[in-house]
Amino acid sequence: MKKQADLSINFCGVNFENPFCLSSSPVGYHAEMCARAFDAGWGGIVYKTLGLEKSFKVVMPSPRLNAYNVGDKRFVGLQNAEQITDRPIKDNIKDLEWLKKNYPNKVLISSIMGFSDEDWAELAKMSEDAGADLLELNFSCPQMAHKNAGHRVGQDFHAVAAFTEVVKKASKLPVIAKMTPNITDMVPVALAAKEGGADAISAINTLRAITEIDINTLTPLPNIHGNSSPTGFSGPSAKPIALRFVSELYNSKQLNLPISGIGGIETWIDALHFLLLGATNLQVTTGIMKYGYRIVEDMIEGLGDYMLERNIQSLDEIIGRAAKKIVDPSEFNTRYQAVSVVDDTKCIGCGQCYISCQDGANQAMKFDAATRKASVNEERCLGCMLCKHVCPVWDCITYKEVDTQVTKHAAIF
Amino acid sequence: MKNLIDPLNIVQFKCMREPLTLEAAIKEANRCLLCHDAPCSAGCPAGTDPGKFIRQIKFYNYKGAARTIRRNNILGSVCAFICPVEKLCEKACSIKALEEPININGLQRFATEYGKQSGLEPLALSKKMNGKIAVIGCGPAGMGCASVLAKMDYDVTVFEKENHAGGVPKWNIPEFRLPEEAIAYDVENLLSQGVEIRYQSAVETEEAVSGLLTEGYEAVYISTGLSEAFKLELLKEYTNAMDYIAFLRKVKFDKNSIDIKNKNIAVIGGGSVAVDSAVSAKAAGAAKVYLISLEHLDELPADQEEIKLAQIMNIIFKAGTQITGIAADGKNISGLLGIETEWIEPGKFVPGNVRQIKGTEFSINVDMVIQAIGTKPGSEVMTFAKEIQTKGKGVIIVNDGFETNIPGVFAGGDVINGGATVVQAIGEGKKAAESIDAYLKNRRNNQ
Repeated sequence: MKKQADLSINFCGVNFENPFCLSSSPVGYHAEMCARAFDAGWGGIVYKTLGLEKSFKVVMPSPRLNAYNVGDKRFVGLQNAEQITDRPIKDNIKDLEWLKKNYPNKVLISSIMGFSDEDWAELAKMSEDAGADLLELNFSCPQMAHKNAGHRVGQDFHAVAAFTEVVKKASKLPVIAKMTPNITDMVPVALAAKEGGADAISAINTLRAITEIDINTLTPLPNIHGNSSPTGFSGPSAKPIALRFVSELYNSKQLNLPISGIGGIETWIDALHFLLLGATNLQVTTGIMKYGYRIVEDMIEGLGDYMLERNIQSLDEIIGRAAKKIVDPSEFNTRYQAVSVVDDTKCIGCGQCYISCQDGANQAMKFDAATRKASVNEERCLGCMLCKHVCPVWDCITYKEVDTQVTKHAAIF
Repeated sequence: MKNLIDPLNIVQFKCMREPLTLEAAIKEANRCLLCHDAPCSAGCPAGTDPGKFIRQIKFYNYKGAARTIRRNNILGSVCAFICPVEKLCEKACSIKALEEPININGLQRFATEYGKQSGLEPLALSKKMNGKIAVIGCGPAGMGCASVLAKMDYDVTVFEKENHAGGVPKWNIPEFRLPEEAIAYDVENLLSQGVEIRYQSAVETEEAVSGLLTEGYEAVYISTGLSEAFKLELLKEYTNAMDYIAFLRKVKFDKNSIDIKNKNIAVIGGGSVAVDSAVSAKAAGAAKVYLISLEHLDELPADQEEIKLAQIMNIIFKAGTQITGIAADGKNISGLLGIETEWIEPGKFVPGNVRQIKGTEFSINVDMVIQAIGTKPGSEVMTFAKEIQTKGKGVIIVNDGFETNIPGVFAGGDVINGGATVVQAIGEGKKAAESIDAYLKNRRNNQ
């Protein structure tokens, strides 16, 4: 029988069978959907953000999505103008209760957004009573139709600290503060949340972005009856930015809170990237919107095999392992430089490396018109490795390290 | 288009397939590696430059792609349907080292049709300030030459003996491989350059070419192709033996003049025209169609895709056989006698190199025999240019600049190469145009 890897985590004192959760979004809109997600294998769900209709009646704009396509690669990102839930609070609370009753071993996280101290306290209390294991405070929705909510709160240190404190007073549950990336430095906001009593940070919410403009109607998309807005951008294209924020949170000694990582996770390798940069818990929406809940099977199996192959007993062993290697560029060791090497036997002669080196680097790549093979003029090679990245063949172009104290290198004048 | 041979439940042939959708074209163009040296472009005898038009599609510059094709190859839409890409541009495609080659003719067809549908502006009109030039024959070579000359502001007149331009693609390529609209569009483009085509203007009288030169034409380009089919001595006197040129033309434009419904037809030959004839006969309702060739199945010069279609249409391949005799009823052939053969010297596919295999004799009943065993230049060439030097079966001898032994007289296409592809003829026409330009400039400089 196949050995099972232990993917369980402890996050804010709550045990998860695996770190994979739905993030607060349409993928966790109601109980039936969440139940199917649990059945598919997700360790937890962050339910679609609750609000109180007596304070703000949500009406969703429509259409509210636009995919970001690059060439024939569709959906490399997704822009949405989704609001918090538009379902009545009593229905949502009933759903939370039902989920806890039917899935007692799965983790139920209630995401909430208030428009006043009273709202925040009431939502926290209701969620706790309904059986939620954790609370996530939505300080970060980038497109709330309400002017005093969402990312506007998330950019205001005092509001973040104050609302967190209100929630902590109203409920005994551990609290995760969800950060907006629409800010230069996330750490001060996270520290404000900590000051208010937050037990963990989740990051990132979506990026304010404009994905496309209809060049016939001259209207940005999604075209919401003639207008649009910079709204939340997510998916694989957002992942590099999410990873940066997660590493900065993790590397802040002052913050020192567990992190739930969010942003473009579709595969176990994406998930591993977040873990290695310091996330303990992981959340997914866009990948599910595109491929369905089933993607968690491959995350569980893939990450499990990775652990078994390397004899990793617990995810704790790898969380943050790569974050330690994030330094300021001033600390780079530039004594060692690279020179690219083309594997003659793998080169198919397309010359893309040649074109890119000619027009985008230091004209170090040579192209033999007769043999249709690329080769490197080491004296000119700056070791930028642009060639490797444009080469269509895996592992055709590699780099060899040059110790500039021993050998001359073009990059050192 | 789609119903041409549907009654027989035949798979769709190249031109009957739906063209690539915009989405499929983008996908395909994005597979292209955009090679530095674009071996596909180097592999095109007409210089259509697929490397460039695929890049243009990838960067959403569809009209630009259509312009590239039209600028480089006046028969760009025809070639998109009939070019043997697997032997040319796609054969050279770098990505073959990793996966299937790029579907180049699919992208070419997409771009030309995009250009057509989006109302691409007409080609620039010749200013006609660089002298008059006569082109004889409005097939691929003639069109290729005329288009480039017009671009260089020459005043070009094409003399065409038929009432339509297009040559072989027009008369001899079945519509299930090449739709009429493709030819019409390309001819329209040529006309938009200000090229004059004089229809039903056969050049065949003695001294006709020297006449043109004295009438004010500064150069003459001969692109009359191969208009006479070879016939087997054995079949010469029979009324129901026909050559493929006549057959393909009749079956395309005058179906009612030939009675082949429920008849047994034998086609002799193994090239594309033989296979086209066999498939056309079957599509027109023939009962049994035999394809008799000296070449064995794996040696047939016809395109693989055509052979596949013929097989699906239940053409009976008598590959690696030879006709030894006939059964006749007066002037009418009623049967063929044949025998299996092998090559005496391997790889030398000529009639003199076969050995008959004893005990493999066969006989088949036929109602008509179509001969597709080769063609030669029409006899009019020797009439209208008496002093012109020819060789072999009558092909015109030219130098590297496509110039004949008569000063100011150039030639290209099948009439010099003895029969090659359409794209080859276009390329020769283009190169001859450059050569004519150089010749005239040189002559003016020396005056």
